Amino acid sequence: MKSFSLTSLFSAAALSIGVAISPVAMAVDTLNVYTYDAFASDWGPGPKIKANFEKECGCEVNFVALDSSVGILSRAQLEGKSSQADVLLGLDLNLMEAAKQTGLLVDHAVDTSAVTISGGWTDKVFVPFDQGHFAFIYNSETLKNPPTSLKDVVDNQNLRVIYQDPRTSTPGLGLLLWMKSVYGDNVADAWERLASHTVTVTKGWSDAYGLFLKGEADVVLSYTTSPAYHIVAEGENKYVAANASEGLYPQIEVAAMMKGAPHPALAKQFMQFILQPGFQSTVATGNWMLPVVKLDEKLPAAFDSALKPTKNLVLPAKDVAKHRKAWIDEWLNATTR
Amino acid sequence: MVKCYNSIIDVKLLSLRAVKGLWPALLGVGFFLIMGAASLAALLRYSELHSWLGYMQQPYLWRVVRFSLWQALLSSGISLLIAIPVASCLIHRQFYGRAALLQLFSVSMVVPTIVAILGLVVVYGRTGWLNQLFGVQIPLYGLVGILLAHVFFNMPLAVRLLLQGYDLIPSGQWRQASQLGFSRWTAFRWIEWHYMKKVLPGAFVLIFMLCFSSFAVVLSLGGGPKFSTLEVAIYQALRFDFDLDKASFLALLQVSICTLFAVIVYRVAPANRQDVSLLAVNSYVIRDSFWAKSADCLALFCAFVLVIPPFLAIFDPIFSPVFLKTLQSAALWNAVLISLQIALPAALVSLLLGVSFGVLARFCMARPYLALLPNKIEHLGNMILMVPGLVIATGLFLSLRDLGWGLQSSYWIVVWVNAVMALPFVLRALMPVMYQQEQRFRHVYLSLGIQSWSRWCLEWSMIRTSVAQALGYALLLSLGDMGVIALFGSQGLVSLPLYLFQLIGSYQLEEGACVAVVLISLCLILFYCSSRFIGGVTARVKH
Repeated sequence: MKSFSLTSLFSAAALSIGVAISPVAMAVDTLNVYTYDAFASDWGPGPKIKANFEKECGCEVNFVALDSSVGILSRAQLEGKSSQADVLLGLDLNLMEAAKQTGLLVDHAVDTSAVTISGGWTDKVFVPFDQGHFAFIYNSETLKNPPTSLKDVVDNQNLRVIYQDPRTSTPGLGLLLWMKSVYGDNVADAWERLASHTVTVTKGWSDAYGLFLKGEADVVLSYTTSPAYHIVAEGENKYVAANASEGLYPQIEVAAMMKGAPHPALAKQFMQFILQPGFQSTVATGNWMLPVVKLDEKLPAAFDSALKPTKNLVLPAKDVAKHRKAWIDEWLNATTR
Repeated sequence: MVKCYNSIIDVKLLSLRAVKGLWPALLGVGFFLIMGAASLAALLRYSELHSWLGYMQQPYLWRVVRFSLWQALLSSGISLLIAIPVASCLIHRQFYGRAALLQLFSVSMVVPTIVAILGLVVVYGRTGWLNQLFGVQIPLYGLVGILLAHVFFNMPLAVRLLLQGYDLIPSGQWRQASQLGFSRWTAFRWIEWHYMKKVLPGAFVLIFMLCFSSFAVVLSLGGGPKFSTLEVAIYQALRFDFDLDKASFLALLQVSICTLFAVIVYRVAPANRQDVSLLAVNSYVIRDSFWAKSADCLALFCAFVLVIPPFLAIFDPIFSPVFLKTLQSAALWNAVLISLQIALPAALVSLLLGVSFGVLARFCMARPYLALLPNKIEHLGNMILMVPGLVIATGLFLSLRDLGWGLQSSYWIVVWVNAVMALPFVLRALMPVMYQQEQRFRHVYLSLGIQSWSRWCLEWSMIRTSVAQALGYALLLSLGDMGVIALFGSQGLVSLPLYLFQLIGSYQLEEGACVAVVLISLCLILFYCSSRFIGGVTARVKH
């Protein structure tokens, strides 16, 4: 037994850990919903939605929280056909086409005529669950001449701007499309002008917003609903969303059902539930976004004062999917010139 | 003739007991290799080699590579340049707060990047302390910011690694130096430098690789996409485009560049001869002088200025009322529990792997026909750092899926990937002392037939300090992990860093800052416990 050294015990332990990786049986009536972390967190809308839906379905809702909206899709792609996911909740407008092309999703058969999104909603695979617009946020106490258009943000060389990288974050991609829809073919020059007074371009929303709150920039790319958070949760009125006379680019978050959903009936029921008050009433103060249907219950006043776009700019999803890589390269070339 | 005789003995030993006693180590290393190969194979199965030529022709890619090399060289060079005098000073001087400083140095690298970035901004930013107190404003966004952040993360790590080199100096040499009246400089020149040379190349490569693959820091403080790293492109390919082909190309490119760099460093560095020396037991005073005092003050000042203010900024939320409120939330303590549930087994697995590597490497060391292997084995363990965690995890995910294993078992994957990611740090802590033990006592053990468990019992008191440090690092790294757990996330698997990001991701910056304080404190406590209870008394005296 001499040769059975401590290391042998150790290695055996290491091996047994490897062997222990084996499937764990799931309860039969559990609906698996893949979403992003903030949505499923204690203060997010997740827990309330879970409670409301469980009352109706007599099932259990299991939120699997991924790190980001992109993370949801790549997790589903990684798992492929063997995925245990029933519903993907939290993709956004610009990921829709890519998500459809995976062939993992199936039509929802939900009546979306009640949806209040400007231009209506006709997509057969995705159901929208909340909406908002991208906007630049500024501190009204320190910035006396806020921008009133995207052109102002781009051209005002004294304005210190922070935004997110379109290669790694959804708001960054939103700005890329916003710029494209305003400037069209001249976007490269605009990017170059913006780059000269950009403080930095961050990996994700949190880094950018954190730097902004520490006073590193005059404006930061975020959402029109961001000021509502500061008003409702902190009683702070100084953060304001800057208007853009050209129009704002929408951020719409969507959900879809998996083709290979282990619990298709529950998944269908949940897709219907998304447009019900039990779900919609939670998104405003839970996710700090606007609901997509008209609710009887009034939203907090802070949301009423939220910036309403004069014009809704939106590029067709197909074009976005087709040109995204080229547009990102255009941005890269212009900003690294 | 003698040589020939020796090798006959070796061959005999190899064929008999030796190999039998070695199988656990072989098993550990083999398991590591199989898992690694499986991940790689899974990724490569999705790649199309002909498209790789196209990627190579993108000018932006090479600009990124050039910049990554440049900033990583600068960052690791500066970190080491500051770390050398600081380490020497910490060895020779006792002052109030020295132990606390060393503890703080051990946790700098696990500070979540976003917390560190915001800490740096509080100090050096536009409305930061530097500007408020002295009216000085430095151009934070650009190379300066990146270097500041990387030095903050890595200089303390470099100090700790260099101090391990000091542990190898036998007390006889210090005694002689003291008797001969060496000045600090002479002692450094003739004693310390000799031992530092042993750890410098390893530390240099380690820190270089950390900086080369740095991600959020480079993006956030770089001031725009001009400054970027390969890691950004890998993230983009893997997450936004789900382009496994491109991701594996980029990952392989990163591995090749880092390997090339490591090979060059080890080629240029002097051969790492192991000494037949005893460990230091007591310390002797080296003659002090005005110049020595000034140099030490300068070194400590640099260390203080670069490391302490961001830490103060990070710990600042303790005084806010939000801190108490955060401490009372059940979710926080739940996250602490989950973090411990991941970090403890991960650290243990990592340590076992490290010991397996060590045992195998030193088995080869004394045998002429295997003499080339130890470095190779060590590099194998280090390679893992060159491959982005996201890529390892994705590869593992795919290979498990192909095997038909359920993906609900993400807990063990997280533990395993964390363990593997910590391996380079474990190896850095373990290898020097394991080599030294082998050199010093091999013949004694061999002639007395002491091996395996009995040998461990005898060696334990000599190597426990290093084992404690290795375990400490593995614990810290797994505790601070964010990337791996985020990919495999599932309900109920919310670790402390993940909880922090959830908070910051939904406007609750202040609460996030408080959670960061909890995280860093937990790291400090665990590191202290590891060195106190596993490292034993010697560890307390020396570090």
